[in-house]
Amino acid sequence: MADSLTSPSLRWDIFCRVVDNFGDAGICWRLARQLVREQGQQVTLFIDDLAVLGRLLSELDTNVERQSLDGIVIQHWTESGIETSGTDVVIEAFGCTLPANYLSQLTSITRRALWLNLEYLSAESWVEGCHLLPSPVEETSGSNLKKFFFFPGFTDKTGGLLREQDLLSRRDRFQQSDKNRSALLKQFGINIRPNDFLISLFSYENPALGSWLEELSQHSTRVHLLVLEGPVVKDIAYWLGEPTPRAGDHFQRGQCHLHILPFVRPDDYDQLLWCCDLNIVRGEDSFVRAQWAGMPKLWHIYPQDDGVHLEKLDAFLTLYNQAFSPEADSAARAFWQTWNRGKNLPLAWRNLLAHWPAIQAGSRAWCDALSRQKKLSEQLVTFAKKQLIFAPRNIS
Amino acid sequence: MKTAQELKPNNVVLIDGNPWLVQKAEYTKSGRNSAIMKTKLKNLLTGSSTETVYKFDDKVDVISLDKKDTTFSYKADGVYVFMDEEYNQYELREEDIESVLPFIVEGMSDVCHAVFFEGRVISVDLPTTIVRQIDYSENAARGDTSGKVMKLARLINGTEIRVPDFCNTGDWIEIDSRTAEYKCRAKAPA
Repeated sequence: MADSLTSPSLRWDIFCRVVDNFGDAGICWRLARQLVREQGQQVTLFIDDLAVLGRLLSELDTNVERQSLDGIVIQHWTESGIETSGTDVVIEAFGCTLPANYLSQLTSITRRALWLNLEYLSAESWVEGCHLLPSPVEETSGSNLKKFFFFPGFTDKTGGLLREQDLLSRRDRFQQSDKNRSALLKQFGINIRPNDFLISLFSYENPALGSWLEELSQHSTRVHLLVLEGPVVKDIAYWLGEPTPRAGDHFQRGQCHLHILPFVRPDDYDQLLWCCDLNIVRGEDSFVRAQWAGMPKLWHIYPQDDGVHLEKLDAFLTLYNQAFSPEADSAARAFWQTWNRGKNLPLAWRNLLAHWPAIQAGSRAWCDALSRQKKLSEQLVTFAKKQLIFAPRNIS
Repeated sequence: MKTAQELKPNNVVLIDGNPWLVQKAEYTKSGRNSAIMKTKLKNLLTGSSTETVYKFDDKVDVISLDKKDTTFSYKADGVYVFMDEEYNQYELREEDIESVLPFIVEGMSDVCHAVFFEGRVISVDLPTTIVRQIDYSENAARGDTSGKVMKLARLINGTEIRVPDFCNTGDWIEIDSRTAEYKCRAKAPA
């Protein structure tokens, strides 16, 4: 039986509905790529918005409904019928709701199949208690299809994080040489000097951004703010008094040099994160990539009207800051919370900088600890094979 | 059909033809994650337990089980026999009544609900509050009447529960049959 776990690949279907921005598509694409390249699986990615994926992948032809890229079959998910073809595992990413006709086919097959609901990332403690629990919904009743919840996370009792096998070694090689940093930044028309402080900014709107930019303009050394495409550009424009800053534009206010970057594809974005002293990230995909950069970071969490996102933020800080000294913990916590509440930032920023060496060390220690976890793609495959080969058919 | 967010403890859901008792139902909503309902379920046929998780709007098949008033009659060869008002007898194995077994005693007069699934008796429920006699307990420490100091007491069938220090051997007490917790002292049943 042990050989069955190393048996030939399973067939995976991943369903992705693009809700907004690039995170959903980016995560599903990374997952598909890691399943194929590193786990030897066969993957079809069904995505409802090819244009969004096309911005991430220059090789994708957004006019073609079905194509193969990097060993992954990419299928435009439209309302017309979708056929299952020997699917072993279907991943419903972020509760996107599988097409009814597809589900109906999957429940009528005679061999076992798995339906995994891949959830959003959270550091909250309840996640550990729900990870890999069965979900015997009415649709699977009496069939050979079994549904489970799969939660990514930061602890050993969760599904872990997406990480390419060679990601950290590539990062380390890149960071060993200042030439790599200079070369990458030159692509964006940015020249840096030793001791310049670099910040990447990929965030949602923040009404208090101006107060922070004022601080940066009075920083003791030159600060480069690398602004990625997104809603925050409006706040930058307002502070600059420039109505329509565009990609490629550079502005200087005191010590603060602002660079509006063109769209950065995922692999280049990793390098950008590796370059910067501080990475301000948002959502989930860029947040995970910032973990692997090992540099200080700030998470602008996806805001929700009912404020539940702030609990999620605190849950992450509680884990992340374990690697920090109490003073650094307090400073980082205050800066993150102030940013996410849209409050005035200067005091929290100055306090953060006062503990900068401890925050740098803590960020790297956190990354090192995370890298000892099993990767999400590996955990998915192990779980799927165990369920399909060993597990009893019923939930008990 | 109900949605998962409507599930409550003591509901019974039908999963793959098996009735499962909902023992716990916890609703969680966080960030962008779907609101979910985590449940602890007990299979009423096998006694096995499991945990599950549902999206809040998943459909679940909540069923009503037939119940009939019975009283405990006798035990023979590991089988517990309950009888209804028409003298029909219902036999249950120890494993069928595991959760109430600690409080089944000879001569008990509690009205028990026999629970039926597809015409077959599968378990019994006890009333929430039951009255039992302490068969043995250490003597009370002098002067403690607060009820804060607890000690072990043994019922006539060997079940041990925690009672306040002022309770003595021979006392009758009320017990919550769901949690096996002492509630208060009681009068002897008539």
